[in-house]
Amino acid sequence: MASSTQTKNSAELCVLLIRELYGQLPSRIFEILLSTGRSTVQQLARISSTGLRHVRHGLAVLIQQNLIYHYTDSDTSRTIYEANHYYAYNIVRNGKILDCVHRNYGEAAKGIVHLVMASGHMRVGSIVDAYLKSHGKVANNVNGSSEPTNGHANGDDPFDDSAEEIQVSGHQVLDDIAHLIAIGILEPLSPKMLQSPEDIKREHESRVVHTVRDIRNRSQNLKMLLEPTYLYGSGAKRRKLANGDRTRGFSAANDDDTIEDTIILRVNYEKCLVELRNQRLCQFVDDNIGHTAAQVYGALLAALSKKLSCCQPDPRDDSIDPMNPPTVTTIEIFEYLKLSVDVFGGIGKPSADQINVTSAEKVERHPPSGDGDGDEAGYDAQASIEEPDNYGDVDMEMANGYHLNGAHGGNDGEVSGPNGTKDTKVTFADKGPTKAERMQRMRQHLLVLAESRIHFVRHSGTRDMGEWTVDFEILIRQLRFLELDTIIEDTFGREGLRLIKILRAKGKIDDKTLPTMALMQKGDVHMKMVEMELAGFLDVQEVPRDNNRVAARTLFLWFFDEHRTLTRTLDNTYKAMVRHLQRLEVEGQKKKNILSLVERTDVQGMEEEKLNGDAFNEYQQFLDIQSRLLGQVSKLDDLVSVLRDYQAQVLSVLRPPVF
Amino acid sequence: MDDKKELLKDQLYQACEEKLEGPDVTAYSRSFSQDDLQSLSICRELKIDLKALMGLVQSLTNDRRFIPLQSASGPVWRLRPEEEANKYRGLEKDQVLVYSWIDNAGGEGIWQQTLRNKTGITQDQQFKNILKQLEAKRLITSFMSVQNASHKCWIKASIKPSIKATGGPWYADGDLDESFINILLNVVFDFIKDQGSYSTRGTGGTARGASTSPVLPKKVLKGKESEVAVAARGKKRDADAITNDDESTPLKARRSNGQQRILLPMPAGYSNYITLAEITERIAAANITRGTKLKESDVKQLLDVLMYDGRIEEIKVGRRVGYRAVRISKHDPSNFVPGSVPSYDLPSNGLTEAPCGRCPVFELCEEGGPVWAGGCEYFDGWLA
Repeated sequence: MASSTQTKNSAELCVLLIRELYGQLPSRIFEILLSTGRSTVQQLARISSTGLRHVRHGLAVLIQQNLIYHYTDSDTSRTIYEANHYYAYNIVRNGKILDCVHRNYGEAAKGIVHLVMASGHMRVGSIVDAYLKSHGKVANNVNGSSEPTNGHANGDDPFDDSAEEIQVSGHQVLDDIAHLIAIGILEPLSPKMLQSPEDIKREHESRVVHTVRDIRNRSQNLKMLLEPTYLYGSGAKRRKLANGDRTRGFSAANDDDTIEDTIILRVNYEKCLVELRNQRLCQFVDDNIGHTAAQVYGALLAALSKKLSCCQPDPRDDSIDPMNPPTVTTIEIFEYLKLSVDVFGGIGKPSADQINVTSAEKVERHPPSGDGDGDEAGYDAQASIEEPDNYGDVDMEMANGYHLNGAHGGNDGEVSGPNGTKDTKVTFADKGPTKAERMQRMRQHLLVLAESRIHFVRHSGTRDMGEWTVDFEILIRQLRFLELDTIIEDTFGREGLRLIKILRAKGKIDDKTLPTMALMQKGDVHMKMVEMELAGFLDVQEVPRDNNRVAARTLFLWFFDEHRTLTRTLDNTYKAMVRHLQRLEVEGQKKKNILSLVERTDVQGMEEEKLNGDAFNEYQQFLDIQSRLLGQVSKLDDLVSVLRDYQAQVLSVLRPPVF
Repeated sequence: MDDKKELLKDQLYQACEEKLEGPDVTAYSRSFSQDDLQSLSICRELKIDLKALMGLVQSLTNDRRFIPLQSASGPVWRLRPEEEANKYRGLEKDQVLVYSWIDNAGGEGIWQQTLRNKTGITQDQQFKNILKQLEAKRLITSFMSVQNASHKCWIKASIKPSIKATGGPWYADGDLDESFINILLNVVFDFIKDQGSYSTRGTGGTARGASTSPVLPKKVLKGKESEVAVAARGKKRDADAITNDDESTPLKARRSNGQQRILLPMPAGYSNYITLAEITERIAAANITRGTKLKESDVKQLLDVLMYDGRIEEIKVGRRVGYRAVRISKHDPSNFVPGSVPSYDLPSNGLTEAPCGRCPVFELCEEGGPVWAGGCEYFDGWLA
């Protein structure tokens, strides 16, 4: 299955990534596994013309890094290996994930995840040991010269938390690990999880879904055990954890017996992807609405992702009801809102009579049904909501309520006069906002997000000052279109984008109608259309009006094939990533002499002193080129995430379910 | 007998004329069937039988006062205004033939080639002479249809070519007036941007820096309340007095010179997003369309294009369908100046920035092929 959805470019990319990180031998074996499919050790040895011992060695590396599935038939006791290209691709995201973990869960969490990531999977005991060891090393370095980060591949530099001087104990490390398990970023690994889903399927012919889910659940047991303390505990504690505060005033909730030393952990990329998606969506909001709204949205997503273990729920899993996605309440979101966020800015302040609160506070209990293209979606959903005939009157009443502390009232019991519009405003300017006011303003940001045509968030209920949910499917589709549009606009200009959007909104359109709709010259339209067709963004269908099939008597219907375009763009992105990595290799070859010098242990860490002027400059140049190329690869990966991973495509063929 | 018939004809024509409704331009497009004519009061009062009626209709048709047409339910007749009918007088037989075709073609006009085939006048010189004579009498005029740029069409001099033939306000002399459209697009976008956003001043440096600190913005808010916000609100209040609005905006821009203005989105439920009717009104008030009056349907076309360009979106608040700019905080708050190209920052992603995204030989690029990453000159340029 894994190889069936692979394109040449994505396979090439995975192999390059493995070569970059783990060397020639594992990448060669992985390449063979990708091209020939499931193989035994003997087959691999034959195809690669390598000795069995070497092959085994390479396989060990791959297994250690979760890059292959292996399965031993109980009858023949033959072991078969299969490439897990999804995990291989994830290598490119390592740096990004560490960054994200750092931002959301603090320095210590990043250190732990980094350790686990570097060795694929690890026993809890070893993590604690290794972490303490490396941390001790850093502690010693505090006074001396801290290791300069010399940007080795993937930017996963050694911990540069040199400022941190507090000694950590094993207890604290365990506590952090427990927290990461509770969030879901680390997951206990069971041998079954290294078997390909196909094999498990075959083993339990009939009860597939249950089995797959059982295995998942078994791995989740520990998470569930830890969740109450670490996720749903008091807000104060959670915040401390989130800020990576090391001076904890409470005893670690985790007793040593909850997490046994022998449990093996690995990074759960599915969950990491959720975090990355949150980050990307915040950017999306930042770009579309504004910075403050993006921060509020970030809080919402953080609250919501507590309830999400992966971006693409397994469609076979019937425990998830697509019509009732998880929701969060305003109060929950507020818990996650950083104190530093200024919710009072970022929205315009028209006079109260220009606000139609009925419309703003509108509750949509069900996801919009239309296929959200931004242009067309949402009309019907909105139209179906009944509006009171005299909305003008309601408007006025509610508008007052909006400027008070909201219809629901703040929980600090502050009472405002009936015409308190001005009073409240003066209040916050003078003595600083109260919690209730902050929450109220935060709600305004949420309402703006809900009103947007992009469907960032859906106001789905009124419990606890409002329930909110995100229809990821619709949202990610919009995001995908946005990425496509960006490419189209960049390549074919605004007119090209205009034409494509018309086709997307209207379906198939005849040659002659387009110029009128786009207000463009006929010749220009034709030229653009042909240009875009050649580039593969458009398709044309010829419908002859009679049997003669002459061009003059033929209708040319243009259309936009969403699925095909996405697939093509995705493959092009892979290809671009491959080219960047190949270029990096070539650049490395060019500077081979310098690089081999730098790799010497007596030079490492003090390049500036040991290398002579020219050599050092050349080394700097290489580092510059490397960071540019890798930076671009990471940006291209952002695109892959949007196009492939954040949400299944309509036909959901691009990514097999992985667990 | 003839006098009586003439009288009857006039009476019948007048009776039909009385049945016409609406303004002159559309009224004459009403058609009368045989039943309609028979049920006219005059027919019943004067006891005109079918045969006599046929005679009268035929005679009126000969006088060009009736236009015979075929409908699904049989023959029908349409009235030709008296003064139009008079134009046929004094024309020669061939001239009448040609003129009647042009007359019947109405606002669409008729292509010269079609006209020649229909009239059956084969001699080129003769045909051209007739047209020239008619043109000299100021009965007909020629124009180029936008549908087929090379087709010379003829139309009655008294009417203007229909929208279908001229392409509406977007065409000038048969050509799509792209610069006109572009200016209008930008002007309309400005209207939408102005009314659908809240303009404020950042504090010196970046606006974002200000909004992250919990202390700083309070002052900003206060300042905003006292100066800009009040001014802005004053401006918003008389949004009906649209012309004032136009004048006040550049004033404000000048005042806040030196300080960076930013645009903020409006809160949810903002019910003052500009509507189609308002935009149409403002375009008319601003008098930028060189005398061509833009109808709401024309403006809607512009709005559609802006929506397809991804610059604006439709927003329904209550029952009011308004328009607002997307990515409002990314827009330059100052207004569009004709002749300039408004800058807008394009979003970018990994593929558009990398050399591969715009590589013309991307399809050929292959390790060991004629083009490959190691020897790629686009990479050379990008990395340099």
